[in-house]
Amino acid sequence: MPLLMPRWVAPILIVAFAVGLQWVARPLLGQYAERVAMDAGIAVVLAVSLNIVNGYTGQFSIGHAAFFAIGAYTAGAVTYYASLLIWNSPVAMGLWSSQSVIFIAATILGGLVAAAAGWLIGLPSLRLRGDYLAIVTLGFGEILRVLLQQTNKQLYTREELHAAKLGELIPPPIGGSLGFINVPKVANLFWVGLFVGITLLVAWRLKKSTFGRSMIAIRENEIAAESMGVNVTRLKVWAFVFAAFFAGVAGSLYAHEVQLTPQDAGFLRSFDVVIMVVLGGLGSITGATLAAALVTVAGEWLREPTHVWHLFGLIAIIRILFWPTGRLKAAIWWAGLIALVEGVRSLAIHYQVDLGEYRMIVFALVLILTMILRPGGLMGTHEITDALRLRNPKRAPTGGAAAGEPTEVPA
Amino acid sequence: MTPLLNVNNIGIAFGGLRAVDGLSLQLEPGDLQGLIGPNGAGKTTCFNLLTGVYRPDTGDVRLSGECLLGLRAHQITRAGLARTFQNVRLFPHLSVVDNLKVACHLRTGQTLAGAIFRSAFSRREEQSIDHKCRDLLDRFGLLARADEAASGLAYGDQRRLEIARALATDPKILLLDEPAAGMNPQEKVELKSLIAKVLADFPVAILLIEHDMDVVMGLCRQITVVDHGCVIATGAPAEIQRDPKVIEAYLGVPEETSA
Ligand SMILES: Nc1ncnc2c1ncn2[C@@H]1O[C@H](COP(=O)(O)OP(=O)(O)O)[C@@H](O)[C@H]1O
Ligand SMILES: [Mg+2]
Repeated sequence: MPLLMPRWVAPILIVAFAVGLQWVARPLLGQYAERVAMDAGIAVVLAVSLNIVNGYTGQFSIGHAAFFAIGAYTAGAVTYYASLLIWNSPVAMGLWSSQSVIFIAATILGGLVAAAAGWLIGLPSLRLRGDYLAIVTLGFGEILRVLLQQTNKQLYTREELHAAKLGELIPPPIGGSLGFINVPKVANLFWVGLFVGITLLVAWRLKKSTFGRSMIAIRENEIAAESMGVNVTRLKVWAFVFAAFFAGVAGSLYAHEVQLTPQDAGFLRSFDVVIMVVLGGLGSITGATLAAALVTVAGEWLREPTHVWHLFGLIAIIRILFWPTGRLKAAIWWAGLIALVEGVRSLAIHYQVDLGEYRMIVFALVLILTMILRPGGLMGTHEITDALRLRNPKRAPTGGAAAGEPTEVPA
Repeated sequence: MTPLLNVNNIGIAFGGLRAVDGLSLQLEPGDLQGLIGPNGAGKTTCFNLLTGVYRPDTGDVRLSGECLLGLRAHQITRAGLARTFQNVRLFPHLSVVDNLKVACHLRTGQTLAGAIFRSAFSRREEQSIDHKCRDLLDRFGLLARADEAASGLAYGDQRRLEIARALATDPKILLLDEPAAGMNPQEKVELKSLIAKVLADFPVAILLIEHDMDVVMGLCRQITVVDHGCVIATGAPAEIQRDPKVIEAYLGVPEETSA
């Protein structure tokens, strides 16, 4: 049996982590770095949750942003209009105000609405074998984007809200194609840290439970899993609902940080999350976390070059030092990746190109290279805890290894 | 008395091909029966019909009198039919012990919430699953490799792990699809004693598909021979070996007639 901490240790660590981020790290970071750290945290929640579907069960969802947007708009609308009604103003109040209670309720509600949407989308498409899920999730995100553009215009005062006719409230007044602005900006490093911690804990405990094992068995061999008594459809749907819930939570954090537009439901963001999961190594929570942080920071850095080699280097060192097998290949891969990014950056500077415009291209290149050179991703399916356990190279990684196995035909 | 497993006249067609056509057999508790026939005779398809991978066009399947038709594969496993596969289908990247633990999932009582919050019940259940699986691995001589990836096992060990995994579902009936395929003579001898041991140690009846006549004839009380989807003979091993229809069916498949 792996080492089991008493179950209350992790929640305490999570709170300590969030408190440390807000009151110790934030003063040291400065405003820009704080924003990047929050975006990275939101990306971690997104990547770790998508990993439950794409990594654990081996399904392929490419519409995660849809659930993100559902959570964002739901939670944002709740906090915004509740604040208008109660305080006649959407201004953000302090952490210790009653607005925080509304924020938490809105976040949970955003997660639940996203989860419900996940259930509605997942149930029919996950019954079928094959790539239906990819098609359906992709389509769902695009449909949602169009639907969000058709919503009513935002109401800016309590009086407007009271005077509004039914036709102005349905479809909901969340700004249409203009976007939804002025949601109280109550998200901070404490909340982001807290929800990142909760997401990681739930994803971890799920993976280590009989349910998570069965989900991974579905990825490994669906026919065998079903024949061993695993209710494959039900577990796939559960994985999808879990993932959608946390995508909704990430959306809520985002809504309380910046303004929303219908684009947030679209393919570009979904693609970002898929990249993070694939780059991290399908099924690895550690990998998804590192890749999410890396992609976010790298994206910022392409926009405005600063020194993020520290982060690149740190992750490379973790990967190469802690995991005993395949060190040389990993080192070569990392060196190549760094050289590529650095090369692109120098060229961009030379030709005075704004790389922020081209980040999708750069990410796509990174993704393609990863698929070719390291199909297992950053971590394969290893977790950081594998390095802490006995150094037995034959030991199976936590929850199985790389995807990319062809699916099999029936028995 | 109703038999433990009563397969009555089942059949299925793929396009024009009647892969299984009116197959019947009965299994009693503690039974060990063989299902043999040339390649493509419909044996694996028969297992697929019994375990809910396909739904029979005709006939019915009853376990202790309860009809299994229309149940999905995982429900049939829960009812008490577990199988192995002709081509090994382990969960290759999961550890050996986790392969068995997956098979324990169907008898677990914990809820998802219980698992996430690590309730006392789910922790106790997780622990008893661990004990059960390691005990099972011990009986199969695989305990030393419990924490290695299943894909790293030798071929013969993988086949044995598949049998152990099927047993971890607590079946009433164990369906083994060519467990000796690809094994060397030494491994086949071990397999024979393993199957005998499973029958003695676990409350199961076994239905065995096997090409190796030595294994089948040495183990089985009763044998059903199929060819082109139809039963062509049923009886004790000695009768089967003398049956002219069986000998004819196997002509042109020399490696089996010589065995
Ligand atoms: N899903 C399927 N679709 C079409 N034909 C099939 C299918 N499954 C099996 N068959 C055919 O049914 C016949 C019996 O196959 P099988 O049961 O695998 O034979 P065996 O006795 O060697 O196990 C073969 O001719 C095979 O090609
Ligand atoms: Mg066969």
